[in-house]
Amino acid sequence: MAQPVELPDTIYVGPVIDPGHSLASVSDKVGGIVLKRRITLGWVFGLLLSFVLLQNLMAGATWLFIKGVGVWGINIPVGWGFAIINFVWWIGIGHAGTLISAILLLLNQSWRNAINRFAEAMTLFAVMCAGMFPVLHTGRPWLAYWLLPYPNTMGLWPQMRSPLLWDVFAVTTYLTISAVFWFVGLLPDLATLRDSSKSRTGQFIYGALSMGWRNSARHWQRYEKASLLLAGLATPLVVSVHTVVSFDFAVSLIPGWHTTIFPPYFVAGAIYSGFGMVLTLMIPVRKFYGLDDIITLRHLNNMAKVTLATGLIVAYGYAIEAFFGYFSADTYERYMIMNRMTGPYAIFYWCLILCNVINPQLLWFKKIRTNPLILWIISIVVNIGMWLERFVIVVTSLHRDFLPSSWGMYWPTIWDWAVYTGTIGLFMTLIFLFVRVLPMITIFELRMLLPGAEVKEPVAH
Amino acid sequence: MSGHTQQLEDGLYGLMAEFETPGQLVAAARKTREAGFKKFDAYTPYPIHELDDAMDLHDNRVSLFTLIGGILGCIGGFSLASWISAFALPLNIGGRPLISTPMFIPVTFECTILVGGLTAAISMILLNGLPTPYHPVFNVERFVNASRSKFFLCIESEDPKFDRAATEGFLESLHPEEIAEVAR
Amino acid sequence: MTTTEQSYETSPQLRDSLKRSSSIAAFVGLVFLALTVAGKFLPGGSDQQFLRAYLVGFWLWFGASAASLGFLMVQYLTGGAWGTVIRRPLEAGAKTLYVMSFGFLPLLIWVDKLYWWATPAGLADKVIQAKELYLNVPFLWVRWVVYTVFLIGFTYLLTKWSKEEDDTKSTKVSARLEALSAPGVLIFFLLMTFCSVDYLMVLEPYWYSTIYGFLTIIGWGLTTMAIMIAVLVSLTKDEPMHYAITKKHFHDLGKLLFALVMLWAYLNFSQVLITYSANLPTEIVWYIKRWNGGFGWVSVLLLIGHFMLPFFLLISQPAKKTKRVVQAIAIYIVLIHAVDVYSLVEPNFTTAEHPQLIFSWLDVTAPLGFGGLWLALFFRNLSGQRLLPIGAPDFVKALNHGRDH
Repeated sequence: MAQPVELPDTIYVGPVIDPGHSLASVSDKVGGIVLKRRITLGWVFGLLLSFVLLQNLMAGATWLFIKGVGVWGINIPVGWGFAIINFVWWIGIGHAGTLISAILLLLNQSWRNAINRFAEAMTLFAVMCAGMFPVLHTGRPWLAYWLLPYPNTMGLWPQMRSPLLWDVFAVTTYLTISAVFWFVGLLPDLATLRDSSKSRTGQFIYGALSMGWRNSARHWQRYEKASLLLAGLATPLVVSVHTVVSFDFAVSLIPGWHTTIFPPYFVAGAIYSGFGMVLTLMIPVRKFYGLDDIITLRHLNNMAKVTLATGLIVAYGYAIEAFFGYFSADTYERYMIMNRMTGPYAIFYWCLILCNVINPQLLWFKKIRTNPLILWIISIVVNIGMWLERFVIVVTSLHRDFLPSSWGMYWPTIWDWAVYTGTIGLFMTLIFLFVRVLPMITIFELRMLLPGAEVKEPVAH
Repeated sequence: MSGHTQQLEDGLYGLMAEFETPGQLVAAARKTREAGFKKFDAYTPYPIHELDDAMDLHDNRVSLFTLIGGILGCIGGFSLASWISAFALPLNIGGRPLISTPMFIPVTFECTILVGGLTAAISMILLNGLPTPYHPVFNVERFVNASRSKFFLCIESEDPKFDRAATEGFLESLHPEEIAEVAR
Repeated sequence: MTTTEQSYETSPQLRDSLKRSSSIAAFVGLVFLALTVAGKFLPGGSDQQFLRAYLVGFWLWFGASAASLGFLMVQYLTGGAWGTVIRRPLEAGAKTLYVMSFGFLPLLIWVDKLYWWATPAGLADKVIQAKELYLNVPFLWVRWVVYTVFLIGFTYLLTKWSKEEDDTKSTKVSARLEALSAPGVLIFFLLMTFCSVDYLMVLEPYWYSTIYGFLTIIGWGLTTMAIMIAVLVSLTKDEPMHYAITKKHFHDLGKLLFALVMLWAYLNFSQVLITYSANLPTEIVWYIKRWNGGFGWVSVLLLIGHFMLPFFLLISQPAKKTKRVVQAIAIYIVLIHAVDVYSLVEPNFTTAEHPQLIFSWLDVTAPLGFGGLWLALFFRNLSGQRLLPIGAPDFVKALNHGRDH
């Protein structure tokens, strides 16, 4: 009775891994970057350059310790300058790593497998750089442990109602859980490196780190469970971290800071900047290590789409801020918005609009999303845009507050720049070291993507 | 059968079969379980969910411990914040109550995740018996491929059903690529 | 092309039962709507009381219509089996906008009976005057026209092209659907944010919250997802859904529902904490009205019933995969969300002198009336179309989702 129905074929969207790879070949290719590939001149040059940049941090921090935070450009009314701008910028960058590894794992997005390890490493390094700033900003970083709640002879306890303390909890939790998640993900791959390493030192180091992992099915079962649980916990965690960062501003009374949209808008901005940074790093790595058969154009396309989507949420945030600036009918709110758009820092605001609202619109076009070079340039502009966003939020909200008599201007000093560029050096140094000593792609998950990995039991006789 | 075999079995951890495809391994593991073996394990370069079913692996303790850890973290976080604010160092902040519940949620939440996440990872590692500095399976030369491209099944000599000859015969019937003795 | 003997046509029994459901729902809806209107004229009834209840009922179900359109566009962009299997129910939900969009008319016509800012006293108020450029009655009408043109226009095009895709199986049509949805989602978010400002936020004339648009849209999305799950469970009793829908589909939809519950709680908590911390007079008043007096209990109910209970129910995997259970949870979520809408509307009319709970039986009959009307339209729309988008390029993939092939 049923009429035959014709159904359209599923559109083939392109492979996650290029065909031709086998279980052995992906292991050798990714592991080989660590074990076999000779140190290249480009890598040495890159590491050196990053290391030189890192010396800025050393110099900047040393001078800071000698003289105190007065060497920075901060003063009343702008008491939070580069330190908080860069802190938020780095923390935001870190978010893509956890997002890719946790949320996309829960959503069964298999394309994440080629990029999660790298993005997680990026998360760790970015959070380390972020942590520098509040610790340095305390002025006496050797007493930074005072931030922790522990019984002490001073009879003092941290203020639990302060968002800055929430930050301490959020950022340390984030760093810990990201590191644990990363290490758990590394375990099987460290075992692979141990087994395929030819040198005794390599076998010993990777052997110790892999803790004797032997790929047992009984272990894998618990391993998978723990991975899922960690992903389930890391997903709300990553949202909470930037939410807490946004609370640093939003629970205050300052117009431009005190606004309820900040939590979701900060989270979206963080993911946006994080994906921007993943693209910035991944496109050259993919090129120089010849990984374009594993990190395919499909990955770039998908990451660009996420960047576009989160960029649009950020743009929505700007629009809503401007609208409610008017709709509040509040003198200070209105002035703050006007000052942002037309005041002395207007150029920063309009550059930010250019970088974060206009620039991602290019990603509507598939031709651009799959062109690595243009995508790379766009991603760098995204990074700049998100830095400007934090600059605008921090500085334009503070520098002209309720009383015109207390208005002032903020400009960073050379020491601000030294510490900032120094953390970029730290970040790049860690990235360069990482790609040499650990597999930058999760090998065991890559194996699962291969056509040969599917279980086809032989027909029983 | 003499003391010679006995001696060999003392020095024997088990018998290991090597397979080319995951499908063969899953089928072999199922048959091994159905044959009544208890102490055996499969070794694969990546997690194979079909094995959980074939080998009847349903250890939910990691989830249970994580849940307990999460609950403890949650209670601990909120208690810490409340105790500090209401007893250890009570301060009036803008007339808010000493226990300002909404403001303690972030700390409570972070503690939940921190303890829960650490429990998940640590309980997985400990339940797996890691770190294991020495394990007999690595005595098989080809076993390095377990972390690369091949699939292994090892029946351990401690299994009550284990018998050197009969078990080897059983493994032969699974059509492996190779069978190896695993020295202790 | 793959050819299959499996029929994806709605079985005649199902079509009949959908039509019968539509008639029953229409009858129930009209009775309750009539009761609501009658309440206005009964002794003790007032224009304002009627309009408040009207807003509660209307907003709940308008949200379901609007978010159907929103999800319809989102699933074209994200892809995924969950979107393909509920695409037709979403289309049926979106098509209710042809009627629901006009539900704003009473609120517009009697705007000065419900909204204080539109009364002579309000219009003479300094703060309101400062917002006059946006907040004036003619512009409110203009905005309604814009919303309606957008909602109806996009629904018309998307449903029309979707049918075309079924008939022609042309990927060109699929590409067109995607191309329209991308800017559609963006416009949807912006316009619906303003819509929530226009009809709900201004009930408390001085208050504003920038997260409000998100909150509204996520609340709508939650209702819609719950309705879709509940309906899908019922549809699986007959062909073609009996064959097409697997446990995995329910699991995916359940996960989405869970995510929306979490998101609802997250956004609400953010608003609470930021408002509580700053404690500004113009802002905190919104929460004082919802915490002091009778509405405090409603807020507690929402905290437990709208977040904790669904959270613990939906966190379990078997619950999301068992049809009966997930359906029960979904229906419960629609009910509790009605309480949320009630607590968005009514507490605004309390004062410091009269902080008591404002509740009349109209607050029950109006949501029921609109619910009946909505479901009547929804089932009618559903009976008139194929239940699965067989022309969608990822239809086969979505069908095989969670099946061993």
